[in-house]
Amino acid sequence: MPHIVKSTILDAPTDAVWNVLRDFNGHDHWHPAVATSTIERAQAADKIGCVRRFKLKDGSELREQLLALSDLEQTFSYCLLDTPMPMFNYVAHVRLLPVTDGDRTFWQWESRFTTRPEDRDGLTQMVAEQIYQAGFEAIRHHLKEAA
Amino acid sequence: MARVYVSTVVNARNDRVWARVRDFNGLPNWHPAIAESRIEGGEPADKIGCVRDFRLRNGDRIREKLLGLSDYDMFCTYSILESPMGVENYVATLRLTPVTDGDQTFLNGPPSSTARPSGKPSSSAISAAACSRAASTR
Repeated sequence: MPHIVKSTILDAPTDAVWNVLRDFNGHDHWHPAVATSTIERAQAADKIGCVRRFKLKDGSELREQLLALSDLEQTFSYCLLDTPMPMFNYVAHVRLLPVTDGDRTFWQWESRFTTRPEDRDGLTQMVAEQIYQAGFEAIRHHLKEAA
Repeated sequence: MARVYVSTVVNARNDRVWARVRDFNGLPNWHPAIAESRIEGGEPADKIGCVRDFRLRNGDRIREKLLGLSDYDMFCTYSILESPMGVENYVATLRLTPVTDGDQTFLNGPPSSTARPSGKPSSSAISAAACSRAASTR
């Protein structure tokens, strides 16, 4: 089972980063891969169990469900329900930890999933770079613009 | 009960940082405030339960017991047995996590670190931040 762990340091306090990340329906505001985002059945974006529907820039759609969200720990977890890619059992965890030395943020984004052997390397690379690493850079840019 | 949380980023791969941190008897090798250290009873420094007895450059003496050590998860947990700082029930965990975006290491003492001041207030003698600064400059 592929296990992806990516992490970065952001030059901003965790509260500022968490403000952006905790909005489960707001990833279209900053992630370059996401064109639009809606929450199904008009539920609140911080209701555990809510489902977001992404339309990606390439036109494909996917659905993800919020499994856990903690303002205290500054973490959230979600899983994929539907995707055009052959990814199964995808569960991802995002967590922020303060870097007290300089009021910065340690951000870790990790996931596990199953797939066909022939798709394993390609999908791992895609998620690690085009979703997680690209997301890191996008937030960096987003925070700079907001400042 | 007071909780202490300190963290920093070291500009080195986590295995290099861990090589220094895991040596429970190695503080004088990299921490500027520590003058000398020994393990009581001639025990190995990675034997859980061993006690390090070390002396700071200012003359203070501290005894700490190794409670947990994991090369896999890269953490080290210890308690203070004796110190001039006036803390009771002080348990600290030092944890390393790789920063994949660049060869860096995130080093933190998580919120499980607890201490009850029994006398004068004092910060940890060996804060994660101090560790990391020392580790990154050597």
